[in-house]
Parts: sequence; C-alpha cells; structure tokens
Amino acid sequence: MIRAENLHFSYTGAAPYILKGLSLHVAKGEYVSVVGDNGSGKSTLVKLILKLLRPSGGSIETAASRPGYVPQRYEAGHSGFPITVYEMLDSYRHLLKLKDREIIKESLDQVGLSAYAGALMGTLSGGQSQKILIARALMGNPELLILDEPSTGVDAGSQKEIYGIIKELNKSKGITIISVEHNLLAAVSNSTLIYHLAGGHGHMCTPEQYAAEYTGIEYRDIDGKEG
Amino acid sequence: MLSYSFMQNAFIVSLFIAVLCPSIGIFLVLRRYSMIGDTLSHASLAGITIGLVFEQNPVVGAFVFTSLAGALIEFLRSYFKKNTDLILSIVLALCVGTAITIISSGRLHANADSFLFGSILTVTRFDTLMVIILSVISVLALLLLYHQLVYIAYDEEAARIAGVKVRLLNYVFSILVASAISVTLRIVGVLVISSMIALPVAAALQLGRGFKTTLVFSVIFSVVDIMLGLVLSYYLGVAPGGFTALVSVAVLVLVIIAKSIIKKAKTPKKQGVVAS
Repeated sequence: MIRAENLHFSYTGAAPYILKGLSLHVAKGEYVSVVGDNGSGKSTLVKLILKLLRPSGGSIETAASRPGYVPQRYEAGHSGFPITVYEMLDSYRHLLKLKDREIIKESLDQVGLSAYAGALMGTLSGGQSQKILIARALMGNPELLILDEPSTGVDAGSQKEIYGIIKELNKSKGITIISVEHNLLAAVSNSTLIYHLAGGHGHMCTPEQYAAEYTGIEYRDIDGKEG
Repeated sequence: MLSYSFMQNAFIVSLFIAVLCPSIGIFLVLRRYSMIGDTLSHASLAGITIGLVFEQNPVVGAFVFTSLAGALIEFLRSYFKKNTDLILSIVLALCVGTAITIISSGRLHANADSFLFGSILTVTRFDTLMVIILSVISVLALLLLYHQLVYIAYDEEAARIAGVKVRLLNYVFSILVASAISVTLRIVGVLVISSMIALPVAAALQLGRGFKTTLVFSVIFSVVDIMLGLVLSYYLGVAPGGFTALVSVAVLVLVIIAKSIIKKAKTPKKQGVVAS
C-alpha cells in the first residue's frame, strides 16, 4: 500500500534533514502506528504520504489514489467558522465529485453521529469533532485511512470509541490504517505494527517488540499519563 | 428622489454592490483576511489615478490594478511564508505610493476626490452597465466555485487532499475581490470599501448559524446598510460612502444588542438559596 525508499526530507531541500533515508513498506490491511518524540518527523511523514510535501530525496509511493485523512482536530477549521456538520460533509462530497447525497448519512452512521447533521462544527465536543472528521475521511470509500493523533484533546470515553471505530474499519473493511500516535498505550493495544521514528531514522516492529523495548520506567510513565 | 436618473443609477449599482460585497466578504472574513480588502481598496485608488491619467474609465483602471495587486499578494504569500504580515505592508506601500505620486504630479485630467469619499452624481450609464456585468460574472463564478471556496476557507489542507487547486483558486479569488472593489468604489468610495465587505458579514456571524444562512443574512444586512445609507445620505446632503459605513456599524451594534437581550431572556433565572 505504501513504499518509501531512502526517503529524505527537509523544508529547505538540503541538509540538515528531518527524515534521513527512511525505508517503509506497509502492506494492505495493516494498522500501523507511527510513534516518536515531538519533532521526530511523524506529521512530516504523513504529509509526504499524502503528497502535501515533496521528498527532498528518495521516493515514496502510495497505491491508494485518494487516501482518507483525519487531521489533528485543532488543524481542521476554527471554532468560530459558521458551518454545520452537514454543510461541511456536503461540500467535501462535491470536492470528491460524489453524486449520491446518501453517502453523508452513511458516513455519519459509521461513527454514530447521524443526529448531529444540523449541529455547528464549533459546538461539538473534542470526541464528536474527531468522529465527524473520521466520517469525512470515509466519504470516498478510501482503501487507506491516515490519522494524525486521533486522541489529542479527546476525553477517555471518546478515545475508546474512536479507537473502536478505527479498529472496526481495519478489521471488517480491510482499510489500511496509518495513525500518528502520541498515545503509546493506544498504539501498542490497537495496531498490528509500530513504526518508530527517532533522529530522522525509522524502524518497523511489532507492538510486542515495541512494548518490550520501552518497558520499565518509560512505559509505566506513559501508562501513568494516560491513566 | 427616484425621478432623478442619477439616483436610479445609484440604486441599481447599490443593489448589485449589496449582493456582491458580502458574498466575497464572507470568504475574506472567515479566512481572517479582512485587511486584504482594505489593502486592495487602496490599490483601486492607484488604478483610478492611472485610468484618469490615460483618460480611460477609472473603474476599468481600478479593476485591472486591483486584480494585479491581488495576484501580487498571492505571489508574495509563497515568498514571505514566515512573515505574512509584511505582505500587506509591501503591497499597500506600492499602491498608495503610486496613487500619491500620480495625484501630486498634477497630470490627472479629472478630480479623484469623488472616488475617495463616494459620490452618487458620478455614476454614469457606462458605470452602471459595467457594474452589472462584473457583478453577474462574479456571482456566477462564486456559485460555480462555492464548495471549493468554502473548503479553502474552512480547511485548506483537506481541500488540497481532495484535489482542489488551491493556488489557482486563490488567484481567481483575488480577481473576484478586485471586481467587488471596482464596482463599489463609485458609490461608497475607496476609504470605506472594506466596511462594505466585512461589516454585514460581522453582523450575520452574530446569529450563530450555518454557512449558507450566514451568507444569506450577510446579503440582507448589506442591502439594509447600503439602501439606508444611500437614502439618508441623500436627505442629509452627505457623502453616501461615509454614511453607509456608519449605518453598517449601527446595524452591527443593534444585532449585538439584540443577541445579548435574547440570550439573557433565554437564560433561566437563578433560584434563590434558602438558608437553613
């Protein structure tokens, strides 16, 4: 689904690079969590997959023609923007050139928020906003769904629901998931693979390997933060 | 009042302005680019003076120069990525510098003052025709590009991922803004054009509704502002531009007061605490 070879990136196009020769292979149907410290290049990698940025060196290819994307909640619009959930999804439907309006209801049903079609986006809670953004990303029936920190600013109950939706999409529909995670507990619990970015380099491992590598004090710290 | 042909022209032009300005303005306000309207209205003054120097229609001069200034803002946006606040200062300097240089050179073949403050008397049949053509084309373009413009304003990144050519549309939008300013300057005047673009939208935003409803109310407030401004300025013998701006502010204040009263009326009264 995604293949990156010797991927380099910097915003100036020259050294020092944020990403230094990454290799990444993601097969169809995987659920990959991308983890790493702040500034390690997680969101940059996502933007390269989405072709919002161009590599400074190497290559990155995606088999999905139009992946679904769920941005960090705070990056999508601002709370004062006067737009209802229905208007937001309907305009996106037009951008994707989808003729059937039913797709709006179907995508809202998938996240359990059909009743909120008439609500203003700015009045929704963190969890509701995140679910609506997932509904938007599902409108084009994507084979690949990319999420950038889906649990940021979301309460614990909604986090559980959101990860439930993502896992269900991965398991029952076979949608490949790439999720940038700061929530390591969620990454270890939900994904089939973890891609760890550090110092501009990355390596793929299983959740078990990752948990073993980050056991002891670091893991308990993170667990404690989430708890 | 309506028996005068200049007032008939003024009313026709005003009606088109009232629809066009907030339709463009809502996208400027929601992208937090209200000040671009101000900068481009100063660009229109440079265009007017260039038009007058070459003895061409000043509205055409304003449209061409304002479009170029809008395109320049868009071009500079990619160059000054980290200091975007500088862009408007640079374009403003270029435009005001051009206008003042030409006015002070004494080579103008007409008086540019009426364009600064707005004047009903200066609206010609040709202006009216041009305003109608530019407005109709602009509104059609807005309808055609509606969903793309909504998304660029709401979530530019999502628009890019969905395949919208954001850069190209930003250039097209600059031309639409230039068009709105050009049709407005005869009546309202360069100095207060930005109020016609932003204030009706600001009033409509107070209602807390969805995008389409906000757009419709922006147009309604705009019609009220400009028609009241035009009629009252006629009877008071003052420039319509300045008075329309004052009416716009008054309508905005009234809407804010009404909103506050309704909110208070809806809030349940606190129950008194009985001491035990």
